[in-house]
Amino acid sequence: MRTLKTSEAASELNVSPNTLRAWERRFGYPRPMRTEGRHRLYTHGEIASLRDALKEGLSISSAISRARENLRADTPVLVGALSACELDRADAAMEAALALRSVERAVEEILLPSLHEIADRSGEASAPWAFAVQWASDWLNRARRLAPSGVRPLTVLVGDATRDEQDPDALDTWALELFAQRAGAEVLTLPVTGLVGLGDVLANFHPRAIVIAGSHAGDDDVARWAYAVRAASGPLPVALYRRGSRRPAGRTTGTLVLPHSPSAAQHELMALVEGRPAAPVPASEPSVERSASIAPVQLRRSASA
Amino acid sequence: MTRPQLQVLPGYGETDVEPYVDFCGHCGKRQEAAAPASRVCGNCHLGLIVSAPGSLAPGAKEPFLIVDGRLQVCAVSRRAERLLGIAEADVVDRQLTDVLLPADAEAVGVEGFVSTIVHAARGDGIVRDLVVRPAGEWGIRWFTRIGPCATPSAVLIVLAPNG
Repeated sequence: MRTLKTSEAASELNVSPNTLRAWERRFGYPRPMRTEGRHRLYTHGEIASLRDALKEGLSISSAISRARENLRADTPVLVGALSACELDRADAAMEAALALRSVERAVEEILLPSLHEIADRSGEASAPWAFAVQWASDWLNRARRLAPSGVRPLTVLVGDATRDEQDPDALDTWALELFAQRAGAEVLTLPVTGLVGLGDVLANFHPRAIVIAGSHAGDDDVARWAYAVRAASGPLPVALYRRGSRRPAGRTTGTLVLPHSPSAAQHELMALVEGRPAAPVPASEPSVERSASIAPVQLRRSASA
Repeated sequence: MTRPQLQVLPGYGETDVEPYVDFCGHCGKRQEAAAPASRVCGNCHLGLIVSAPGSLAPGAKEPFLIVDGRLQVCAVSRRAERLLGIAEADVVDRQLTDVLLPADAEAVGVEGFVSTIVHAARGDGIVRDLVVRPAGEWGIRWFTRIGPCATPSAVLIVLAPNG
């Protein structure tokens, strides 16, 4: 993925860096990533798309709307490839998406919405959904293998409370695990129903936070598991992700409810682990949220490090 | 035998083309006469530079909208956002009639309003006056100037709340 510094992006658009920052504040676009030193890094695809739209636009709003539509064009391609069970074409669609975006944005803006669209069209008990989930699982696992592992002293234990791989919440959980790992954390996922030998695992893996992801497992199972973890590792902060509850205004009873968006959840989770207040998450489009029409279902995965 | 010849009739081909002026499509600020290096307003950073005939271009405090030939809203000025209680991002690409409707007691339906805009989008160069009201509101009327603007070719609707 080609990236541009603020001055380069401004030059490409023939505007000043102040103008770019003004657009980011007002429209949430273009949405830069940040370097280690908190400098903005723009994706070339986003800037090129906006440059083309500005040539024929009558307002910044309409140009940004058009640029966003152009970038979203990858979603129908991926949906079409997965619906036709064409693995190569699906991989190529994600490759194309990655040419214009970071891994996090490609997952949130292309992969997850495509899968949710297939769930809407075909249902969660259908073969296309099962095929799409299998492909997405493979893709996300490949991305995790390529991600640097544990470059920061941050360890997160994910309690998997989803039903199985067909559970739509499982997709978002895998995305959260990938994002956390790419942010430098070491992530271990264990099913919340597996209590046997839990202490032995935790003797070698010292988590600094627990995330309980998914809403299939009952509260009793989750409470027993969390108690066993805290008995072995001490009092750790607990966060809930896609646990079926609505997001409260703030923390309640010491448990943090993470936002539904995997990237926003990852930001808050990292802040929780590092013990700092969560920084405001950059404006994102509502399309990354799953539509309310998809009933929450679940998954259970075997332990994976 | 005399051959028929084309003749220029009085009044045709003699109309002066009114010079266009540049202004920002968001804050309305008039731009320098020289072609700007960038299409983005250097004053507010939030609007593109648009051109319109001098008599049509908005004054410093006049709210305005820009629509295309399909009657889709393309831009809403900052003052129009305040006057109409809308955000530009919310109404861009929506139909103009979702925002403004004709309010002329003499007019029959929206046809006159629509045809005025369609003619302006074709670039007939004539600035027309119409009376409009906000969609879904009664008892409020604004005089408007409607005419062509560029680039690309579109229609500028300047609202004059004070008549």
